[in-house]
Amino acid sequence: MNVAIFILFALLCLGGALNLLLQRHPINSALSLIVVMSSLSVLYLLLGAEFLALAQIIVYSGAIMVLFVFVIMLLNAGEEERTHGSRAAYFAGIPGVLALFAVLAGTFVTLRLSFGGTRLGAFLVTTGDLSRVLFRNLLLPFEVTSVLILVAILGAVVLARKEH
Amino acid sequence: MTPSLYLWLLPLFPLAGFAINGILGRRLPKAAVSAVALLFPAAAFVQVLWIVARAHQGLALPYLERFATPWIAVTGFHANFSFLLDQLTLVMLLVVTGVGLVIHLYSVGYMAAEDGYWRFFSYMNLFLFFMLTLVLAANFLLMFVGWEGVGLVSYLLIGFYYTKDSAANAGKKAFIVNRIGDFGFLLAMFLLIAHFGTLSFREVFANISAHPDLQGGFLTAIALLLLLGATGKSAQIPLYVWLPDAMEGPTPVSALIHAATMVTAGVYMLARAHVLFGRSPLALAIVAIIGAATAFFAATIGVLQTDIKRVLAYSTISQLGYMFLACGVAAYSMGIFHLVTHAFFKALLFLAAGSVIHALGGEQDMRKMGGLRKKLPVTFWTMTAAVFAISGLFPFAGFFSKDAILAATFETPGEKILWAVGLVTAGLTSFYMFRLWYMTFFGSPRYDESSAGHGEHGPHGVHESPWAMLLPLVILGILSLAGGWIGWPAALGGHDWIAHFLDPVFTSASNAQLVVPSAADFRLERILAGVSMLVALFGWWLADLMYRRKPQLADSAEQKTRPLYTPIWNKYWVDEMYGAVIVRPILALSRNLLGRGVETGIIDGANTAMTATASGASSGIRRMQSGNIRSYAGWLAAGAAAVLIVALYLSHSF
Amino acid sequence: MNEPMTPSMIAFSPALRILPEILMTLTGVLVMLVEAVLKPRTSRKPLGIVAILGTLAAIAASVYQLFLPAGTAFFGTVQSDAFSVFFHLVIGCIVLVTLLISLDYFEGHTSFVGEYYALILFGATGMMLMTCSVELLMVFISLEISSISTYILAGYRKRSATSPEASIKYFLLGSFATAFFLYGIALCFGATGSTNLYEIAKGVADGASPLLLTVAFGMMLIGLGFKVSLAPFHVWTPDVYEGAPAPVVGLMSTAPKAAAFAVLLRIAYGAFGTAIHIWMPLVWIMAVLSMTIGNLGALTQRNVKRMLAYSSIAHAGYLLVAFTALAPMGIAAASFYTAAYAAMNVGAFGIISYLSGYNEARTSLSDFAGIARRHPVAAAAFAVFLISLIGIPFTAGFFGKFYVFTAAINSGNAWLAVLGLLNSGVAAFYYLRLLAQMYMVPVEPPREADTAHARPAFILAMAILVLAVFALGIFPGRILDLARAGAATFSGPANAASQTVPVALLRR
Repeated sequence: MNVAIFILFALLCLGGALNLLLQRHPINSALSLIVVMSSLSVLYLLLGAEFLALAQIIVYSGAIMVLFVFVIMLLNAGEEERTHGSRAAYFAGIPGVLALFAVLAGTFVTLRLSFGGTRLGAFLVTTGDLSRVLFRNLLLPFEVTSVLILVAILGAVVLARKEH
Repeated sequence: MTPSLYLWLLPLFPLAGFAINGILGRRLPKAAVSAVALLFPAAAFVQVLWIVARAHQGLALPYLERFATPWIAVTGFHANFSFLLDQLTLVMLLVVTGVGLVIHLYSVGYMAAEDGYWRFFSYMNLFLFFMLTLVLAANFLLMFVGWEGVGLVSYLLIGFYYTKDSAANAGKKAFIVNRIGDFGFLLAMFLLIAHFGTLSFREVFANISAHPDLQGGFLTAIALLLLLGATGKSAQIPLYVWLPDAMEGPTPVSALIHAATMVTAGVYMLARAHVLFGRSPLALAIVAIIGAATAFFAATIGVLQTDIKRVLAYSTISQLGYMFLACGVAAYSMGIFHLVTHAFFKALLFLAAGSVIHALGGEQDMRKMGGLRKKLPVTFWTMTAAVFAISGLFPFAGFFSKDAILAATFETPGEKILWAVGLVTAGLTSFYMFRLWYMTFFGSPRYDESSAGHGEHGPHGVHESPWAMLLPLVILGILSLAGGWIGWPAALGGHDWIAHFLDPVFTSASNAQLVVPSAADFRLERILAGVSMLVALFGWWLADLMYRRKPQLADSAEQKTRPLYTPIWNKYWVDEMYGAVIVRPILALSRNLLGRGVETGIIDGANTAMTATASGASSGIRRMQSGNIRSYAGWLAAGAAAVLIVALYLSHSF
Repeated sequence: MNEPMTPSMIAFSPALRILPEILMTLTGVLVMLVEAVLKPRTSRKPLGIVAILGTLAAIAASVYQLFLPAGTAFFGTVQSDAFSVFFHLVIGCIVLVTLLISLDYFEGHTSFVGEYYALILFGATGMMLMTCSVELLMVFISLEISSISTYILAGYRKRSATSPEASIKYFLLGSFATAFFLYGIALCFGATGSTNLYEIAKGVADGASPLLLTVAFGMMLIGLGFKVSLAPFHVWTPDVYEGAPAPVVGLMSTAPKAAAFAVLLRIAYGAFGTAIHIWMPLVWIMAVLSMTIGNLGALTQRNVKRMLAYSSIAHAGYLLVAFTALAPMGIAAASFYTAAYAAMNVGAFGIISYLSGYNEARTSLSDFAGIARRHPVAAAAFAVFLISLIGIPFTAGFFGKFYVFTAAINSGNAWLAVLGLLNSGVAAFYYLRLLAQMYMVPVEPPREADTAHARPAFILAMAILVLAVFALGIFPGRILDLARAGAATFSGPANAASQTVPVALLRR
């Protein structure tokens, strides 16, 4: 049962991601991204990360994607123009990505035994567990993230405002 | 305890001169610039004389002076900022500061009308600073500092006339070729660190001496790498190509840097590292062969040159070859002896040539000279002393040193061929020097009187140079005559003072000099001296025949020896060969593989072709929308895959 | 995490371990607050001065950290020791000089000067945090801070076409590379069950899944290799350096690289120290590739900024050579080279920013013809930096290379040193070409754009850099001692806490 759900949502996630790339209209891409985010949250749930799954839905699928869609509509962004493909992307990029994929897949397949097995949904990471890691062991990274966000906001301001 | 000699002051004098002229020179009056430029080298010279006096009073040599201990220390290695004074250093110091001072004096007259007077003198003082550092250094690292420093200043001074394209190119060429030599020097240093954990001359050589079983092997490698460095700096085969071009610099620079001091640094280094070379017969043999080959090769080219400074440049290369030959047969004292006499007569040759060029308003082509004997009497007579000296005529300086080298070569078993090459070269030297002498000072004037003259006074005919230039000529003229007497060999009734003086430095390496010579040896030496004297005279006679008595003979000889003449005239196409074999492939690689390949071709080849025709304004847009980012991402992905695959492959093959 | 509980540890607050970062952040916030108070269209110089004072305070705080016994804080996420102090000082000084150069550069050209200073300060916070993190997640977040601020800074010449383009390129590709780094962290966690460097080191030493660790290290190397523009991840460098404002290029070609190299040192020698066979060959190959591609690429460039971009690729390669040496020596050599490279490269771009101004009036080699006549002092300073980049003795560049190659040869990597030396021979050619342009080409008539005149702040910055280039070249002892003390801290936290070299250093 769990495996079936996993496969279903994993495929949905991949499909959404591909669709995101292939769509030429930004609004379609944005909507595909929502599919990706939501199916990811299901995968989190399967791994027992209930808090993360909910946060994923609320923050990403909810807040961020709504913002995305608003922006696209406000800007009235039109269809993407196709540009010339690049030879390097075809001759180096695609084989490169395939090779990367092969290396990773090979690694995981080779190591599947030493990883050991576990049952999906067999364990639960409670909010308490999570906060112990987040607010104790990783307190400093968590706090420093605020600087990261500050930088991002600053950057957005600089990029968005016009010179006068 | 030895009282301090204040060695650290020695290089600081010219450095101060450099700083003052370099920073304030632009605003100072010319007289002040000259005063600064002369005062500081003079102070250094006086200090050297003081040190000589101290040494005469029985100062214990070698003497070591440390300033920063350790200067730098890395795990497994440390180096001190320290100076070493021994007999070898002392001789070099005298040459560098003495000849340096004289040439500075000459420059005051020669450069008087040039732009950037202050710049010239600040560079010259900077050169002395680095040269003194090189000579005084007590370890390879500090020596290398000076070594690179003189190269840098030489680059600056070659390109001094920066309005001339050829000058800039010559400077660059000198610098790049020297980088190849430095590559050898640096590698040698790294190997020394790896094997001895130190770069100090004393410690390295003591270590080698303490292990008699150390022969060849990595010592040969170090010696050969050092030799590569030396061939770069001293313009020997295969790295000699930069020196003739370096003549683009002002003539005093050619005299100081490219004749008397800097180019002899390679010889000095070989002598300094004699303990090392002593353990590698192979390296020594190569030194000797390179020396003899360069001496001969450069001399043949010198025979046909028509630019007066280029003749001197090739003769410098050739004479440096003699010094290498001396080192190669372990006659280091003789090599240093020739270095000293050569500094005198070659500096004089350049300065006298400069005086001629000055008189003719910048003309350097000997075909447009002639008959200057009467117009430039002082220049003529001093030049004559120098020509006699370099040709090896008794009792001029060059005779003693060159003869000593040839004798030492002859007496080294198995080196008779090198001796023969050296002898033939001596004949060639005599020939082309007298050729220069005749073409410049004899015959009918071939110059254009109206265009001659110099400086801001406007054209006013051929004139003798001012005394600021002539005094140095006279001083060096006397030294060219008498400077060789310090090495008057025992075989001719002298004391061979220089060899005895330098003996403490070289005893460990050259046992040959310790053997008490027998009467038979004396006879042999006398015969050899006679032979080289005859050869020199023959060269003179031939030059006299071809360039004074029967000038048409030179032309007909040229016609008859066409196959021989062409390669020599083209300097054996060595420059062209280097260009084709080394320079062009690198540039092509850069341009095609990286330039066209990665940067444009594969990335956005289609776009370039398309937008090349479009207006320039579109270039920004083109790049925004072109596949650039995509291709870069493609490259990144490919690179990432390659890194992972290589990592997996290599980590498992271990 | 076995935190060493010596009495001295309890006596001070863990905040002292990140005091420089705290000061930098607070200064950044202060700059933003003051910016809001300042009237529009007035000079933003006071902000720059605030930023400079804050940076000075952070530098002082870093020096103060030498007096603390080395150790970790915040549950083993950060560690202040001689190594982190060394890189803090390098980064702090780079930022200080960049601020001095920028003080007049943007004046009157853009209305976002306040944000500029704040971004530099926050970016520096990230970089400093990178150098003292011993927890990979901490590294990741600080790396992101440093990267994002650099992306934006690269686009600061908003009116030109190339600058925003550079920014976008850098951002997209940089994010791509960061993803690799993050993936590497995840794989590390998978292999050893921790993202703490010391825990990973234990796992590596115990022989946990070499295959996974190899891939993990490869991934992290890719991510960091991009940041320091090592071949084959260098493709973005010329474009970005060409487009970004010159003072920013000076900053981004040195400070984030120093930080990334510090991280790479901690990962390679600290965490993967016992698995040297995994990364040594990889590093070897990348070093050779970077040196060769960088130098050959620079040979035919006509654009000075592009040329220096390729040269920076080559210098990253030289620096990587140090990684092939054994632990203490390689670390010291790499650290020293970072400092030396920072001094000369910031200087070179500083001079370019001065000579070409905000509008980048001088870009190609021929634009620099005869500069020596019109700007003799600037040309002389430029010459010093170029000579140092060539690697002539008595300059920082020489000793940097000397240590690096000595370290390589002492560890048996003679061929690498040979290749490196050959490369630096080739490199001399293109630096000389620029030198020759400045000094040996006839002067053209002055053009309109040539209104550059030096302000005190700029002169001060250049004086600092020229002095640094010579000081590192003539008296490298003190800096090298600090670098070696830093290298000595790599034997583990317990060992790091017990060593007292840093304080002795100051008292010497």
